[in-house]
Amino acid sequence: MAVVEVEGLCKRYGETVAVDDVSFAVERGEIFGIVGRNGAGKTTLVECVEGVRRPDRGRIRVLGLDPSRDRARLRQVMGAQLQGGALPEKLRVGEAVALYRSFYAEGADPARLLDELGLSAKRDTAFENLSGGQAQRLSIALALIGKPRIAVLDELTTGLDPRARRGVWELIEQIRDSGVTVLLVTHFMPEAERLCDRVAVIDRGRLAALDTPGGLIARLDSPQRVRFRAAAPFDAAVLTGLDGVGEVRTDRGETVVTGTGNLLHAVGSALVRHGVVATGTRLETATLDDAFLALTGRTPGEEPTGESGEEEPA
Amino acid sequence: MTTYRPPARAWALLTWTEAKLVTRDIAGLVVPLFLPMLIMVMYGLGADGEGTERFRGVPAFDAYVVPMTLVMVVALIGMVNMPAVLAAYRGSGVLRRLEVTPAPPVMILVAQVLAALAQVLVGVVLALLVARLAFGMSMPRDPLPAIGVFCLATAAVYALGMLVAAIAPTTNAAVAIGLVLFFATMALGGGFGPRENLPDGLAALGEHLPYGAGLEALSATWTGVAPDLRHLAALAGAAVLAGAAAAKTFRWD
Repeated sequence: MAVVEVEGLCKRYGETVAVDDVSFAVERGEIFGIVGRNGAGKTTLVECVEGVRRPDRGRIRVLGLDPSRDRARLRQVMGAQLQGGALPEKLRVGEAVALYRSFYAEGADPARLLDELGLSAKRDTAFENLSGGQAQRLSIALALIGKPRIAVLDELTTGLDPRARRGVWELIEQIRDSGVTVLLVTHFMPEAERLCDRVAVIDRGRLAALDTPGGLIARLDSPQRVRFRAAAPFDAAVLTGLDGVGEVRTDRGETVVTGTGNLLHAVGSALVRHGVVATGTRLETATLDDAFLALTGRTPGEEPTGESGEEEPA
Repeated sequence: MTTYRPPARAWALLTWTEAKLVTRDIAGLVVPLFLPMLIMVMYGLGADGEGTERFRGVPAFDAYVVPMTLVMVVALIGMVNMPAVLAAYRGSGVLRRLEVTPAPPVMILVAQVLAALAQVLVGVVLALLVARLAFGMSMPRDPLPAIGVFCLATAAVYALGMLVAAIAPTTNAAVAIGLVLFFATMALGGGFGPRENLPDGLAALGEHLPYGAGLEALSATWTGVAPDLRHLAALAGAAVLAGAAAAKTFRWD
């Protein structure tokens, strides 16, 4: 049985369509990613799943419960980490966990949970004095304190430095390994690629694709890229005619060749044949970032992606 | 499958936690606890302690300054401090975060009200102790009605405070609206000197706003006469009207 079933979900705010006819099912024990740009409708979508918003149309079941009608029961089996959710500034870590534990009939042992999340030493630290990474770990602790069967984590690593982010990623994998289904909302593609078993790509409110990260990448026409710098200008025609080569572009002295097959070998030998001296030759395989951009129909140069876009509030 | 509700322990723990948070906000404690007391002490130092005819033989300090101080304590906490905390909770996402837990939203309001009441109790006891020990204040001639009147006044200013919390878009707005409301009702209600000095229309208005009505009714219990029904009705009316308006307009995010 699917843990989360969403069928034909629609939600609009006035004239703005936030979610447009989205359907998907989340299987037990997977990390299911919902990815999209800021403002694509991801948060509205999960807020409907959490029962915080009522959809205009469509059917949602979370562990067989209707989030709009069975809110109280849903709260017992779902742990949520909200974008923009916070705690009182002076509330201490230990107090927050003990307080949230009291809301649930069954739950985790607060001391052990803090230990697992590396927060034991911060037990007496006020929320306002936590670093970004510590606050996010506390947020995860509060999402898990009720021993949920499904955890919804919204933009969990936004604003974290790379080291703190890696720590949080490891935690999410541990959560999944303990049998909890994870619904992960993110606009940071390396995060989705690293963590998610399957990914739903949301673009302007619609479901653009649903597949494993590998499956989404494999859909690309040109999943490889060869980059090099030529010592002297050369005629791009020596490469464009080759088997497997898609596009050849030169920008600020660096040439980027996209294509398929044994691309590196094909490009390398053609350059040698024509006496082009190349330095810094690198082969890059496509990432989820590339797949995402191809799916949502915008070129990489059009808008900053990944980390540089993180500071925007959604 | 029965629907699980958080146990009494959760309500108690949330209330206890909110009370602890109140004690950690030093700035929020100083104004409502010590400003009214400072004003009371200044009046007390100038008082002669003689009974006056106006208050049926009770000194004006006992029958007017002390009730005014007690109303000031509860009005500051109910109309300024509590709405500021709730507006901050909404602004920073504390209420949103609670929304996805099994805790019903009203739980945080109840906890906040109870924590603020504890603060009021501390302020009242401190003020009464200082008035008694330093200035020989006499206790109200009608102690039970005094308690009842104070509870009614508390309900009225808390309802107004909830309305402030409901309509204020930000924490700063809540403090601003709360303070304006506090000073306006206090000025019209006789907090800056006898209402007789005000134009008749304003004096009559102030007498029926929570500050003035609370002060008059509480003062009556000190002199041992029954509080005027108009004042009690004004307090009850403010509690019901503002409470209903707050319940209708309160936003959680």
